[in-house]
Amino acid sequence: MTKRMPAAALLLLIASAALTLMFSRYDYAHQDRDAIMASSSEEHSTGTDELGRDRTVRVAAALLVGLTGATAAAAITTLIAACFGLLAAFSPRSIAIVLLFVSDLFLSLPWLFLLMMARSLLPLTASPVETAVTTFLVLAALGWPACARAIYRGAVQLRYTEWMIYGHACGLRTQQLIRLHLLPHLRSLFLPQFLICVPAFIVAEANLGALGLGVGEPLPSWGAMLLELDNSALLARSHWVYLPIVLLVVVLLILESFSSEGGTNA
Amino acid sequence: MSLPLTVVLRAGRTLLLMLLAATGTILLVRFAPGFFSDDREMDARYAQTARLEIQAEADQQHSLRSIAIREVKGWLHGDFGQSRQFQVPVAELVGARLRVSAILLSKGILLGWLLAICTALPISCLRKGGVVWGLPFTVLLAVPTAAMATACILAETGGPVLVLSLLIAAREFKFLRSLLGAAWRSQHLLQGRAQGLAPLALVRMHILPNVAPQLYALTTLSIVTALGAFVPIEVIFTVPGVGQLAWSAVMNRDLPVLVAISLLMACIVGLAGMLSAREFTLEAA
Repeated sequence: MTKRMPAAALLLLIASAALTLMFSRYDYAHQDRDAIMASSSEEHSTGTDELGRDRTVRVAAALLVGLTGATAAAAITTLIAACFGLLAAFSPRSIAIVLLFVSDLFLSLPWLFLLMMARSLLPLTASPVETAVTTFLVLAALGWPACARAIYRGAVQLRYTEWMIYGHACGLRTQQLIRLHLLPHLRSLFLPQFLICVPAFIVAEANLGALGLGVGEPLPSWGAMLLELDNSALLARSHWVYLPIVLLVVVLLILESFSSEGGTNA
Repeated sequence: MSLPLTVVLRAGRTLLLMLLAATGTILLVRFAPGFFSDDREMDARYAQTARLEIQAEADQQHSLRSIAIREVKGWLHGDFGQSRQFQVPVAELVGARLRVSAILLSKGILLGWLLAICTALPISCLRKGGVVWGLPFTVLLAVPTAAMATACILAETGGPVLVLSLLIAAREFKFLRSLLGAAWRSQHLLQGRAQGLAPLALVRMHILPNVAPQLYALTTLSIVTALGAFVPIEVIFTVPGVGQLAWSAVMNRDLPVLVAISLLMACIVGLAGMLSAREFTLEAA
């Protein structure tokens, strides 16, 4: 019951965003030069930005871009973490130590600083879609160590359980043991890790975007929408400027309610 | 394991961490697009032959080997090389900003911890309603640092210290509440309460000494969190600290500055890790 409410709210938001994009007269990049920094009107229900772009459409697109990117990045991160954690758990001790040191290295350095460096050192002439893909890929590439640690610990605990030893004694190969017995047991660990990563990646993208290193314009993103708050002229004209930040917080609260429940269940 | 051996091992680990951080930074920046750009190439006064000579000179200087040698020379010299962007020794540049960032970080971490402990301690002993009381921290967790900083500027209230301390408090509150909650529910504490010990005495004599090692480990995490968050905070509030310098160096591919800041961050994280005497993981919290 408690899971259904946030799931329904999230689905409602996604459906509303998709319908807005489908049925709106404007594209997210369309500039209405007669309605620059306009407040709420019949044509633009939540006003426009400094380039005359419809805010409703841009917020809807930012929501979908953010959720799609973060979900994909979280899936990649979980996959990398699963491979890394299992490899470390089933490797000889010397290799496991090296692998864990690598994850420690990533864990111990400040995440946003690493992201900022990795993202800013990528091509300058990339298209908006390429920048979005790159940003979320960088997030996925740097977000795995914490998950890998958790999966490693889970896998090591399961590796020495009686049924695993029994399976091994019965002649099952390591790959078979992992595929048939270990992975189904670790599923309860993968899901919370995945659910924790989604809001974390959305927040990271928003922070990167606020530094001008996120998804490239004109593709809308939470980070780019936050930059609007720097425009005092825009703030003075309409309160709808705050819509993206309010919606972002709502989305993050919904996603965090999933991750806390996922963590509890695990 | 004996104490000196532990210290040596941890110091070695910190040094290795610093070395790997520096190597990673050099590799990242060296292969970044725009690293080879030189202002003189845009200057029309230079003849074609002069430009070719500049390019050949740059090619020689920009090999990984020569970059690494130059960086190590800078470290040994103590100035960490010359900033590409500002044309001044990196040590001078970082040194001037280090104090500003250190004050911001220490104030932010201290206030954040104070807020988290003062809130988590009473909430953790509640039988019901803990989730509701903890709601402000859940909301704070959902607000990106950049948005929090922008909101402060718009509201003309608070500043970088407030944003950093709220972020730290929101992150640590969750762990502290579960840690202290488990401590409150332990059998020996129940016995103490049954014998009529005052709550303050329970906290001072039983809870804090028991959770101290986990608190040390959480402090290390707070430092890492603060180091990650202080870049957008300093950039948005235009605080002339190391975070702002890092952002500027990243934008301008200023390799010597970036290497020095990476070394500094790895060193701080390594030393913070050394301070937490025993190894305690997040799962323990």
